[in-house]
Amino acid sequence: MSEQSLSLLMHWMQTVITERGGLGEKLDAAARRHELRAEDVVAERRGLSARERLAVYTGGYVLRLLECMRADFPVLCGFVGDSVFDTFAKAYVITMPPGSHSLYDLGADFSRFLEETKPKNWRLDAGISAMLDLPPELARLERARAEVLRAPGTEDDPPAAEPLSTFAVFGEELTLQATPCLRLLEMKFPLVDFLKSSDRGERPEPPAPRTSLVAVGRSNYRLHVEEISLWQFAFLRACERPTSSYSAVRVAALESGREPGQALAEVAMWLPVAFELGFLRRVV
Amino acid sequence: MIQYSTPEVRAGQPPRRGLPNLGLGVGLRNQHFSYLMRHDPDVEWFEIISENFIDNFGYARRVLERVMSVRPVVMHGVSLSVGSIDPLDWDYLKKLKALAEFVQPAWVSDHLCWTGVAGVNTHDLLPMPLNEESLRHVAERVRQVQNFLERPLVLENPSSYLEFKHSTIAEWDFLSELARETGCGLLLDVNNVYVSGYNHGFDTEHYIRNLPHDAVVQIHLAGPTDCGRYLVDTHDQPVPAAVWELYRLAQELTGGVSTLLEWDANIPDFPELVAELRKAEAALRGENPGAPVRKSGSASAVSNPVGFQLSTSDV
Repeated sequence: MSEQSLSLLMHWMQTVITERGGLGEKLDAAARRHELRAEDVVAERRGLSARERLAVYTGGYVLRLLECMRADFPVLCGFVGDSVFDTFAKAYVITMPPGSHSLYDLGADFSRFLEETKPKNWRLDAGISAMLDLPPELARLERARAEVLRAPGTEDDPPAAEPLSTFAVFGEELTLQATPCLRLLEMKFPLVDFLKSSDRGERPEPPAPRTSLVAVGRSNYRLHVEEISLWQFAFLRACERPTSSYSAVRVAALESGREPGQALAEVAMWLPVAFELGFLRRVV
Repeated sequence: MIQYSTPEVRAGQPPRRGLPNLGLGVGLRNQHFSYLMRHDPDVEWFEIISENFIDNFGYARRVLERVMSVRPVVMHGVSLSVGSIDPLDWDYLKKLKALAEFVQPAWVSDHLCWTGVAGVNTHDLLPMPLNEESLRHVAERVRQVQNFLERPLVLENPSSYLEFKHSTIAEWDFLSELARETGCGLLLDVNNVYVSGYNHGFDTEHYIRNLPHDAVVQIHLAGPTDCGRYLVDTHDQPVPAAVWELYRLAQELTGGVSTLLEWDANIPDFPELVAELRKAEAALRGENPGAPVRKSGSASAVSNPVGFQLSTSDV
């Protein structure tokens, strides 16, 4: 058997496993594409047909990945229900088969997939139409949470010589940087309380749409998901690269329409909290 | 009767491929993190799923550091896809090697399988056609991986649900020749031998007797599910009696190698897991602590479950 045949067999089997549709449709697609039938490829023994043997792989492929998607998006699954979630997730894995060596990358594009495939031309009430944005937004928040849990954080940072005082920002110029595990999200719904209630096993009502700015961070391996104000969002975004505290305050003031002095005072009060939540670290 | 190896006896045994007999171990699972950070584990070693810790700087890494400080660790991968016709994923191999430099594992293992082609990873352990050309293909890739990792690779026999008409070499002969040509080690999964033997009708004792026993460095144990006309490697049940028999035979033929209990779905609490693992001691004394294979009429039995990799843990 030549290398081409090894390639042919693997491509054929992968088509059977990953192609859209039931087993019959998968086998038909594989036969058209690779000119091979199941009976040409699979040994039939012990009374099990080639199709029955292939069904173990085709069924297992979807179920295995579905289980992972449910683990990655439990709040979305709880919100839309198992049946609807499974429909979304199956469509996702069939349309966008995984390619990474890591299962942690499986759900990376799920939010974008939900956004791109939501109904767009239906004549719906404005309120219902707005609610179609909720599943992709919820998926985006859950994905951010999963990323933060695994990203490099501050747990191994050397302890500071002195704790950061409230008035530090008024004194010597600080150089600050957002931690690698910080995620900033501008969302269409206020989902932080919805997420926390769902985590507690409650069934909260879906919130009405409004812009919500969210910071997801980690300290001491504990996750922090917080709705923040515009000046805080602007300040943290300004710190994505190492920046002086005064520069970041100026950006926060400009983007939030605050007087610089007011912004400076608010940053001074909030900065120790931002450090505590793992959003920022001092660069020395 | 096989004498259960005490640490003193194991210290005098010749290692397999230069590798030690670590004793009895379990997989490191998220569900047990809280327990392991509070207790000294009542096992002799741990196996990690390599991909769970690549690019993972969260709490799991802290737990791993703690476990590494008290017990030997082995890295077991699921994405090497050593049999695939796709080029080796050198980005993945670099990350695997970097993880090995951090973990300092006793060995690094994966499976004789392919996981996908054309850039797809199905996250399943797909069966190989077993013939001269696939043997040469896999052997060359094993050599490349071993040269890159600078250590022998240990390869596991996966469970399978189909055999290819193009196969001309029995799986045990394929593994034997692969080990002979490349110097790789073998991870003998006796549950997978049992499952595949049932599904394809081969003699499981013949399979184990015809492996190169000096190349076996580790044994996996697990509990499958009986789906009526075939068995599925669900890793979610106690080890059945038939698998304990194969385990006893394998330990007799190899002289005693590291034992790992795999349990990847419906994972019990850590003490319960250890209690199941400790049945290996009874098996080696000639007793058989196993139960019948659990039957399921459901089509939802999934081989090689992976959902446990994404389950959350308490900090």
